Amino acid sequence: MSRPIRSVLALFWSLSILPGFLHAQKLEPIEIELPKPMFVGTPQNIRVPNLEKPLGSPRPPFLAPAGTKNVALGKPVTSSDPEPVIGELEMITDGDKEAVEGSYVELGPFLQHVTIDLGTAHTLYAVVVWHYHKQPVVYFDVIVQVSDDPEFKENVVTLFNNDMDNSAGFGSGKDLHYVETAEGKLIDARGEQARYVRLYSRGNSNNDLNHYIEVGVYGKPVS
Amino acid sequence: MTEEKKKPEQSGSEKKGLGRRDFLQGLATVPVLGAFALALSRDLSYERKRKAQAFSHARKRTGDVKEVKIALLGAGAQGQVLMDACLKLPGVRFTAVCDIWTEYNQRRAARMLDKFGHRVNAYEDYRELLAEEKGLDGVLIATPDFWHAEQTVACLEAGLNVYCEKEMSNTLEGARKMVEAARRTGKLLQIGHQRRSNPRYLHCYEKLIRETGLLGRITSARGQWNRAVQEDLGWPQRYEIPESVLHKYGFNSMHQFRNWRWYRGLGGGPIVDLGSHQIDIFSWFLGANPAAVIANGGTDYYAKTTHEWHDTVMAVYEYETRDGIVRAAYQTLTTNSSEGYFENFLGDQGTLHISESAGRGGVYREPQAPQWDEWVRQGYLLAPEKAGQATRADAVLDVRETIAPDRHDIPVIFNDPYHMPHLENFFDAIRGEADLTCPAETGYETAVAVLKVNASIEAGRRLVFDPREFHI
Repeated sequence: MSRPIRSVLALFWSLSILPGFLHAQKLEPIEIELPKPMFVGTPQNIRVPNLEKPLGSPRPPFLAPAGTKNVALGKPVTSSDPEPVIGELEMITDGDKEAVEGSYVELGPFLQHVTIDLGTAHTLYAVVVWHYHKQPVVYFDVIVQVSDDPEFKENVVTLFNNDMDNSAGFGSGKDLHYVETAEGKLIDARGEQARYVRLYSRGNSNNDLNHYIEVGVYGKPVS
Repeated sequence: MTEEKKKPEQSGSEKKGLGRRDFLQGLATVPVLGAFALALSRDLSYERKRKAQAFSHARKRTGDVKEVKIALLGAGAQGQVLMDACLKLPGVRFTAVCDIWTEYNQRRAARMLDKFGHRVNAYEDYRELLAEEKGLDGVLIATPDFWHAEQTVACLEAGLNVYCEKEMSNTLEGARKMVEAARRTGKLLQIGHQRRSNPRYLHCYEKLIRETGLLGRITSARGQWNRAVQEDLGWPQRYEIPESVLHKYGFNSMHQFRNWRWYRGLGGGPIVDLGSHQIDIFSWFLGANPAAVIANGGTDYYAKTTHEWHDTVMAVYEYETRDGIVRAAYQTLTTNSSEGYFENFLGDQGTLHISESAGRGGVYREPQAPQWDEWVRQGYLLAPEKAGQATRADAVLDVRETIAPDRHDIPVIFNDPYHMPHLENFFDAIRGEADLTCPAETGYETAVAVLKVNASIEAGRRLVFDPREFHI
């Protein structure tokens, strides 16, 4: 089937099916409890290309089907760095989003990743990540993937990628760099179904280490 | 002053030569096209450069940089900043760290350095470190101010070169002992006023003030460091330091350990933590130590029980420079972050606005001053952004105000960690390749100037400096 015909059929499908789908799936803003803003100390210069402009106002509500919640809360986390510099991996899903000592895990330098096992397959609507919002910092090569394969070799869907020079080897990302804030970075999970969520990063604008305060994964179990 | 300054060269005349030494001293003399090219290349190669820096430790032994072995005393927030900067410098190797918070700061520093390939021994007590560690070239001290004098003197007497964070001591008595120890031992003592090695500041001082006198006669200066309201620093309960250990090292509680900067006898408050950097710039750029200071301040916002030093300070210094009196106003607020931090120098020909933050800074020509086109052509300044024009149709020109001046950018871009050039200067001095940009005597002079602010507040009056106070 030619591409134009496929496109027309897809549009027809969307127009005929989508309203019913939305009617059945009542949308509500997902509830994200935010930590205290914590810009302290002397921020280092940030001169990063392709940097997203700050919104200048609170993030607009993100709509997802009713009943969507943080399904990562308390779920186990593994990492490419099993012996963090400081902190424990379980801090990433403990619900504590404060940018204070004892609330974050610091992983080693260069490319590192963490993987959250949601236990079962979920329909995912958003991933919200707080790397470290004590200072205005930019993390590099932020890549967020979901999969039903714990090894992330098959059925991998990339939700976010700002690795513009493909140094991580997952393809060149088109997403922008962004400055960490207490709001965290919300990434649209587009209704993908997966059991595992993996996040990569490669250092930040202050140093080459990698940090996570919290990762929230907003979704619903696949029924 | 101006007649001794360099005059702008005419077009077609022989251009000023820009030597390799100048270039190496922080890009202070990069001509405008070079600065543009440098900026452009830095932007284009940013990712590549950053990643290359991350692997710089692996190249240390293959380069021609002589390796310097160092230890870190104090692995808290400032120690972390110094470690981050050092890890980007070739030829620097950590071999030991020391921190009394063994379960957190010490563990974190040791593990982090290990991940960068630096095998370090970790200590709680610096005396044990000095007894055990052999072959060190230098020590970085980033402990609370009240430890600086004792630790610096001990390290110098152990034959080590020392980089000590500012304020060099919370007392002049302690600072004096540090200077005397440096002289006695012949070892290097660099004080952490890192702007003294910052290429932007070096350019402004060397080129815009000292060489060209672009600002004319400087009549006043202004500086500030305003910060937003902050909660006291907390700590993870599971990593709390035993009380006996806290007492051994001079703290009466975990809260005091974490918030020592606010406590008398341990730190000096924001005027010392923040103002010290900028008051140091006043004296450096004006080429003089202050003659008098009057200050006002108090703990107006936070609890006095936990904030023994003033949360709000305003001070006015008087400098007697060779061109006349300069009055310099400085304030530090910890309850409002308006306009952040900067230093201004105001002369009858122009104004210099500078900050450690690369996003700030500019030079403004007074409307009646001679044109600066030749300085722009020679790369001392960037071409101006035109100002002084009303942009709104309904805007009204107030004839009582002087027309707004043009703004010129400073043609030196510096995006590296703030402390990196200052540390590099220290390491180069250890290698015998540079002179310190902030030796003990300079740090002492700044300590005299800064600590007098708190004394003036206590006295409730203007205090005069005896010039002999600045010298040992």
